[in-house]
Amino acid sequence: MDTRAKKKKLGLKKRYTTMTRDLSWDTTYQDMDKVFPYDKYEGIKIHDWDKWEDPFRLTMDAYWKYQGEKDKKLYAVIDAFAQNNGHMGISDARYVNALKLFIQGVSPLEYYAHRGFAHAGRHFTGAGVRVASQMQSIDELRHYQTQAHTISHYNRHFNGMHDNIKWFDRMWYLAVPKSFFEDAFSGGPFEFLTAVSFSFEYVLTNLLFVPFMSGAAHNGDMATVTFGFSAQSDESRHMTLGIECIKFMLEQDPDNVPIVQRWIDKWFWRGYRLLSLVAMMQDYMLPKRVMSWKEAWEMYAESNGGALFKDLARYGIRPPKGWEDACEGKHHISHQAWGTFYQYSHAAAFHTWIPKPDEMDWLSKKYPESFDKHYRGRLEHWGNLQQRDERWFNQHLPMLCQICQIPMVFTEPGDPTQISFHETQYEGAKYHFCSGHCKEIFHHEPRKYVQSWLPVHQIYQGACYPEDINPESPGDSPVREVLRYYGVVGGQDNGDFNASQDRSNFDAWLGKNHPQEANK
Amino acid sequence: MNAVNMDCMPTIGDYQFPARDSEDKFFGNWLIYLCWDNHLMYCAPFCVPLPTNLPFGALVRDVLPMLFGEHPEFEQIDWQRVRWSDSSDEFLPDFGKSLAQHGFGHKTLIRFKTPALEGSRGHIDNKQLAF
Repeated sequence: MDTRAKKKKLGLKKRYTTMTRDLSWDTTYQDMDKVFPYDKYEGIKIHDWDKWEDPFRLTMDAYWKYQGEKDKKLYAVIDAFAQNNGHMGISDARYVNALKLFIQGVSPLEYYAHRGFAHAGRHFTGAGVRVASQMQSIDELRHYQTQAHTISHYNRHFNGMHDNIKWFDRMWYLAVPKSFFEDAFSGGPFEFLTAVSFSFEYVLTNLLFVPFMSGAAHNGDMATVTFGFSAQSDESRHMTLGIECIKFMLEQDPDNVPIVQRWIDKWFWRGYRLLSLVAMMQDYMLPKRVMSWKEAWEMYAESNGGALFKDLARYGIRPPKGWEDACEGKHHISHQAWGTFYQYSHAAAFHTWIPKPDEMDWLSKKYPESFDKHYRGRLEHWGNLQQRDERWFNQHLPMLCQICQIPMVFTEPGDPTQISFHETQYEGAKYHFCSGHCKEIFHHEPRKYVQSWLPVHQIYQGACYPEDINPESPGDSPVREVLRYYGVVGGQDNGDFNASQDRSNFDAWLGKNHPQEANK
Repeated sequence: MNAVNMDCMPTIGDYQFPARDSEDKFFGNWLIYLCWDNHLMYCAPFCVPLPTNLPFGALVRDVLPMLFGEHPEFEQIDWQRVRWSDSSDEFLPDFGKSLAQHGFGHKTLIRFKTPALEGSRGHIDNKQLAF
């Protein structure tokens, strides 16, 4: 019998190269530019794709192994949580509304990210960045799945979680995250990576994940904490992809600098506007608070981000144009956003409420410059109405920003008593914006943004009614018909928390009883 | 408008699509945006479809109370003293003339200020409120 020669094991580096870049080749039957048609038109010049550094050197077989182990742990925790009725241990049923916002507005973005990275992973010429994008694409799909599985336990016990994908496609406030991501993945692959990997994942992600996950920990939601941890190790890989992509573009050609700078300006601002939802969650929706939005902004944006842009200065990159306005906004945006959802709560798919007196005091303490002066008064006024059984809901539709699609709630920098207005004309029509930064985004790509699907305008065009409704005369309660189209049960999925089934159920499970208030 | 950097979007081919909110899509109405300056109880200005021949007086008499009437200061407004502006200039409305006769158009923003009542410094029930 022949003695078999023992195969030599490859070293880690060699193995990585063999299993990733060496699987790529230059096409000869077809022109490379035809095979990769999307990575030149944005104007980014790449001279040497081999200069791309792969910081993680992860091969697919190792990737499956790590992710499989993480999944085993996560699903063990989810099972235990379900078997022990973990939802009974949360601080207060109000907390679940933060999860509703997450499954409605954040999880669908994970799925969009999966699609976007799959596209980028096909269309870059360089094999290194293709492999990194493909792995991230799988990560993002896994994040969507683990989030859906974790939150499905809550869906059995609380309203407002049963139809998140339909809502994501239809509801006015979910058009904010939806349009953000559709804007990103309808750009070219380099803009997509700058938008998602750098501006969002690298610069802003801590402001998304830390508040939600530490909020979950403080409020007794161990299932959500566990999916947070499970995603966290992927996030660090994603952030590294973001910074690597930026540095690679900047090092390859000086002509890339102004293009990248414009994308950073745009995507920082778009990401910041999107985070208004997180700011509100952090300051108003967590019964046990972690830190204020302002504190989180100071820690994760002002100090960490400040250091980052100092580092990028050597490439000729300056901080994003909206930076100072975003820093000023830390005193205001959470209050402005909560005020919005409080008054349009009958048209959303989660509950809102007036903070309790000790929570108002917490807000005063955390926002000494703005809360008592500008926001406490209106909350107390609404609270008084509610005491008199006249809970106020705003029955008329708001004006929206053409770019971020948020109702025009943001005030002028330096004057929190005045809404900020910006307007332009394009091809004979008027367009309105919440800020100079959103207006500038429009100016660069007006042909893209004249197509914005603005929920309020769509309602008036008759596009958001069920099929049995005549859009020209929708009857005596158009809002009711729109809710029917959204698939939201009025008063059950939305409205004031105090009058909600969520509240009365939760109290009943804990053995507390109270008369259910009318949800007007 | 900064015409210098207008529309520098690179595309992979012909890229022309109709504007989604053009005037012809609203059943003969214009969308009009209405803002009561400094009154932030209403989180944002309103967007309403209005007939182009609506007299300005009807806007004040019928539309504004429907939109803003729940604000505690609304009833105290002295309409003679109200200052009106569109997105660029102040104007003096003629209550008998229509929106079209005022030179407004689809997606015009109309703002009004009520000098004695500046929501953010209003007093209701002897208590200082801010909204």
